[in-house]
Amino acid sequence: MTPIDYALTALFVPLAAAFAIAAVPPLRHAGKPAAWISVIAALTSLGASLVLLVQQLAQPDRVVHEVVRWIPNGSASLAEVGIHLDGVSISMSVVVTVVAACVQIFSLGYMRDEPPAALGRYFGYHSFFIFCMMLLVISPNLLQLFAGWELVGLTSYLLIGFYFQKPSAAKASVKALWVTKFADMGLLLGLICLFAVSGAFEWTAILPEEWATTITLLLFLAVVGKSAQFPLHIWLPNAMEGPTPVSALLHAATMVAAGVYLLVRADPLFAQAPNTQLLMAWLGGFTALFAAVLATVQTDIKRVLAYSTCSQLGYMVCALGAGSPIAGYFHLTTHAFFKALLFLAAGSMIHAVHSNELSAMGGLARRMKLTSAVFIIGSLALAGIPGFAGFFSKDLILEAVYDAGLFVPWTMLIVAAFLTAFYMGRVVFLAIFGPFSQASENAHESGFSMTGPLLLLAVGSLGIGYFGPEFALLSGGSYHFHVGMSGMLGAGCAVAGLLLSWLIYGARWLPTQAFSFLAPIERLAQSGLVDRFFEFAYRRGALAFSDAVGFFDRYVIDGVINWIGWTTIMSARRLRKSQTGNVRDYVYAVVAGTVVIAFWGLSR
Amino acid sequence: MTVQALLLLTSGLFCIGIYGLLSHRNAIAMLLSTELMINAVTINLVTFSQFSGGVTGQVFAIFTIALTVAEVVVGLAIVILLFRWRREIAVDSANDLRH
Repeated sequence: MTPIDYALTALFVPLAAAFAIAAVPPLRHAGKPAAWISVIAALTSLGASLVLLVQQLAQPDRVVHEVVRWIPNGSASLAEVGIHLDGVSISMSVVVTVVAACVQIFSLGYMRDEPPAALGRYFGYHSFFIFCMMLLVISPNLLQLFAGWELVGLTSYLLIGFYFQKPSAAKASVKALWVTKFADMGLLLGLICLFAVSGAFEWTAILPEEWATTITLLLFLAVVGKSAQFPLHIWLPNAMEGPTPVSALLHAATMVAAGVYLLVRADPLFAQAPNTQLLMAWLGGFTALFAAVLATVQTDIKRVLAYSTCSQLGYMVCALGAGSPIAGYFHLTTHAFFKALLFLAAGSMIHAVHSNELSAMGGLARRMKLTSAVFIIGSLALAGIPGFAGFFSKDLILEAVYDAGLFVPWTMLIVAAFLTAFYMGRVVFLAIFGPFSQASENAHESGFSMTGPLLLLAVGSLGIGYFGPEFALLSGGSYHFHVGMSGMLGAGCAVAGLLLSWLIYGARWLPTQAFSFLAPIERLAQSGLVDRFFEFAYRRGALAFSDAVGFFDRYVIDGVINWIGWTTIMSARRLRKSQTGNVRDYVYAVVAGTVVIAFWGLSR
Repeated sequence: MTVQALLLLTSGLFCIGIYGLLSHRNAIAMLLSTELMINAVTINLVTFSQFSGGVTGQVFAIFTIALTVAEVVVGLAIVILLFRWRREIAVDSANDLRH
């Protein structure tokens, strides 16, 4: 089998599974068989991706680029679709399929109590998601990437709204769709501009100087929406209405990372626009800090993790802005592992206590030893404690941002590193240690289908950080690991953050009044300032504009049309009187008319 | 015969037709007047054909005669129906088709 065959297998087996589940109602309604088909498809996809990865490691600079003409234009083509396999796309497809397979197996246990038909629907969406994401990952140009981009947006909508009977879930899915579609407008416009100036949708295009900033800004707008950067991050916390494994796969590990993947892929374009890169660095840094601040006051475990995802994506965007795609991409990979692990472990805990609230948990370390252990591993990796995956990639980002001379974003990232450790410590000390609640008293460990994927991801979260050199080999960058000033400072802040959270929530040495410094943040988080801003912009801006357009349509355009109709009716009412029905009148009229025409003709 | 003489003849016929059409109330008389006008036009066709050489005008004259026959048939049928309905054929009373 050629690499293309493996790629096609990884791409189309999940699609076939999704199609089978969608098109054969008895299969879908049966639930369990559909789930198994989906899991097998995911594992096939994973296997094919792993084969490609092994081949790629043997020949790191191999690039397989196979396209077919999509929109022919004479002998040339306006657009192409196909497969582009290089180190970046292969490693990303491995990340996607590993997490997807883990999440699907986890879902077998987590979604056990769903009705069979809902279970079939759930797994159908999941298989379809793998297809869409792979389509995005292995795309040879930005146009196919855009197709995959929109499709993952659709699956995100469907999966957030999985419990569509719940009004909050239905609203959250629509909100996610609206916000990301608004941002995707930027991608579409950017692609149109790109095609206008370069005649193709390649990410290697050389942009004219006057267009570079415009095009990259438009592309970046889409990234801001998809990767939940400030101020379009508002959909991500609401997206937690979906089932927890969905949050792990789509809204933590893979789909939201598609934005960063786009930045990595289109780095040759962004490298031509220093202004856009500067904006990326600042916005990424600000998002990292802002979301980390909000994460410190959430009481819902999934919302803590959601804001944490925003924050970590901010790190990646900032790294890309600092001109270091490898740092951002490495953090994407490690983040996919430990954030999927955290979400799935949180799912396991939620499954045990039937609540998302931190207050309902507590003392789970004594009831769910394995889940607690992997959750702590994930937290340490996220916090960037030395030795865990997050440490290596975060160190790389901090060094890159510092070296690029972006001092303010770098400071924001350092503070965010402190806060990251603080809020994860808070979750750990409240949910895993701490006193029992009524629900957690009776909690017990989840089954093997849930703990198995957790173990696998925990191994990834522990180990993936040490594969930096292989990673650099694949993505064609250089990787010199050294703990410099930034890395030490970041790790120091992380330890300090953990210590502070232990003092407040673990040992309770600091009195409750110590919490009062969080009160303004809590008010900020509850007020939903950004949401309110968009609401205002929508009401006062979009709706007012629509009203004005509606007024013009109703009273000006319709007015003209109605006036024409009214005039016709009135003149008809008058002219009808000339129809006397008398033959002789008509004869006179004909003769008179003939005479007039004859004279008119003669006089010319 | 000259063109002028023939054209004078047809003009006279045509004017007589118009006069008859305007002055009569009897439907049959009006049809007859129409026939006069059509014949005037037909003679015109033949005349011009004769003096310009070629037979196109004469062929059209034959067409016109055939069409006139058809028209008269329809016209007389309408007159008969009108008579059956109103027991008279004066056109002034038949104004039911006004607005």
